[in-house]
Amino acid sequence: MFELLSRTLRYVFILLIYYFLYNFLKIMIADLRREKSQPKETGFVLQDEDGKNFPLFEINTIGRAEDADIIIDDPFISSKHALIYKRGSKLLIQDLHSTNGTFLNDKRVTKPLRLRENDEITLGTKKFVFLRGEAVGARDGSNLQ
Amino acid sequence: MEPGTEAIYNKNVAIAALVGILASLLLSFKEGVFSPVPLYGSLIFIVIMFVGHFLSNQLFLEQDPALFILCCFISQLGLIMLYRIRPESAVKQLAWFGIGFVLYFISSFASKSWIDKNIGSLIFFLATVALLASPLLFGVELYGSKSWLAFENFLFQPSELAKITFSLFLAESLKGFKIERPIVFFGQILVILSLLALARDLGGAMLFYFTALIIIFAATSRWDLTGFGLIGAVLAGFLGYRFFGHVRVRAKAWLNPWEDVPGKGYQIVQSLFAMAEGGFFGTGLGLGHPDYIPAVTTDFIFSAFFEEFGFLGASALIVLYFLFVYRGIKISLTIDNSFLSLSALSITVFFGIQIFTIIGGVIKLIPMTGVTLPFMSYGGSSMVMSFISLGILNGIKMRASGGESDE
Repeated sequence: MFELLSRTLRYVFILLIYYFLYNFLKIMIADLRREKSQPKETGFVLQDEDGKNFPLFEINTIGRAEDADIIIDDPFISSKHALIYKRGSKLLIQDLHSTNGTFLNDKRVTKPLRLRENDEITLGTKKFVFLRGEAVGARDGSNLQ
Repeated sequence: MEPGTEAIYNKNVAIAALVGILASLLLSFKEGVFSPVPLYGSLIFIVIMFVGHFLSNQLFLEQDPALFILCCFISQLGLIMLYRIRPESAVKQLAWFGIGFVLYFISSFASKSWIDKNIGSLIFFLATVALLASPLLFGVELYGSKSWLAFENFLFQPSELAKITFSLFLAESLKGFKIERPIVFFGQILVILSLLALARDLGGAMLFYFTALIIIFAATSRWDLTGFGLIGAVLAGFLGYRFFGHVRVRAKAWLNPWEDVPGKGYQIVQSLFAMAEGGFFGTGLGLGHPDYIPAVTTDFIFSAFFEEFGFLGASALIVLYFLFVYRGIKISLTIDNSFLSLSALSITVFFGIQIFTIIGGVIKLIPMTGVTLPFMSYGGSSMVMSFISLGILNGIKMRASGGESDE
C-alpha cells in the first residue's frame, strides 16, 4: 500500500516542484523584460557638433554597428568604438580597441576614464560634448528629443 | 511589488505547503499504521513559512520575497528527507529552522539599520580572526577538523559566522574598486586562510579562498590577480596533496573510487549507487536505501534526495539553488553603493561556491569536501547561519532601495 502510494506520488512531487520553478522563471523573465524596456537614464547626454543629443543610460556602446546603443554612421568610427558606463555614481568611458582611437579632451583613452561635465570626446572625426541633461534643457530648450 | 508578481509568490508558497502536506501524509503511513508525527511537523513548518512570508511582506516593503520562499522550500525538502532518514534529527532540525526564522527577521532589521555604519575593515578582520581562532584554542575535534566549539550539548562551528564577517571585510576593503594597501590586504587574507588550514578545515579554506578571489575580481576587474590566484589554488592543491593525509585520501577516492570500494571509496561509491538507483523519477519517497550511505544527513543528503526524487527532482533542486544565487547577484547588481553591492555579492558567492562544492563532491565531479549543503543538510549552525546571511542579504536590499548611494 505504502509502496504504491509512494510510487504514484513521486510523479506528483516532481510536477509540483517543476510548477514552483516555472512560476519563478516567469517572474524572472518578467523582470528581465521590464529592465530591457525601461533602461535607467543617468541624466547625462552626449551632444554632437550639430546639437543633436544622445541620452546616456547605464551602459552605452557607441559605434557603427546596428546593435550599438548609440549608432553613429561615420567611416572613421569602428563598429563597436567606445563604451560609456555607470559605476557607482560616476560615468566612465572606455575605448573598445577601435581603429582610430577614442580621445577625451584630446588625450587618447587607454584605460577607463571618468567623465566630467563639459568634457570633449572625439571618436574618429566626430566630436561630442558630455553634458548634464538639465544643462542642455536650459541652453536650448527646443532641442530635447 | 506588482499585484501579478505578488499573486505568483503567494501561489508558490501554497505549492510549497502542498508538497509538505503530501509528503508528510505519505510518511505518516510509512510504517503501515497511521502516525501523525510528520503531519504535525509539517503543519508547524507551514505555519512558520506562512507567517514569515506575510509578516515580512508587511514589515519590509522593499524586500525581495523570492529569497525567503526559495529558502523555505529548500529547507522543507531537506526536512522531508531528514524525517525519512532519521526522524529525531528532523525534529531538531525543525527547531533550528524556527530559530533561524526568528534570527532572519532580527538580522534583516539589524543590517537594514546598521550595515553601512562605516566600521572599518580592520574590525571585520579582527572579528574573523577571533572567530576562526576560537576553536583552535577552546574547540573540540570532530570529523578530522578542529573547527567546532562545544557548549553544554550542542556544537557550533564559528567558521559559519566568520563567513559573514569575512564577506563584510572583503567588501569594506575593496569598496574603492581597487586594493589600497596590497601587502596588508593580502597578508590579512593569508592569516585567515592559515587559521582555517591550522584547524584542518580545508573545505572551509577553499571556500574562503575562492570567495576572496571572485570578489577581488568583481571589484577590481584585474585578470593578472585572478590568474595568480588560480595558479595559487593549483599549487595549494598540490601542497595539500603532499602534506595532508586526508587530502590524498579524498583525491584518490575521487580519481578512482572503485580501487578501494569497502574502504576509502566507500562514501562516494554508495552515493553513486544511490543516484543510479534513483533513475529519472526516483524510487519514490521512503523506498530508497539512504541508510547505506555514510554521513547521509549532512554531506550526502543530496544523494539521498537524488535516490528518492530522481534525476528530475535533483536537477530541479539545483535549479532552485541557481535561482537563489541569481536573485542574490541581481540584488548586488542593482545597488549603487559599492560596499553594499560587494557585501551582497560576497554573501551570495559564499552560498554559490558552497553549493557547487558539495553537490560537485557527491556526484564525483570534484573531490569530496566536507561542507554542508545550505538549508538542507542536518546541522544547527549551518541552518541558523544560512538564515542570518539571508537576512543580511535582505537587509542590504532594503537599505539600498531606501536610496543610499556613494555620495
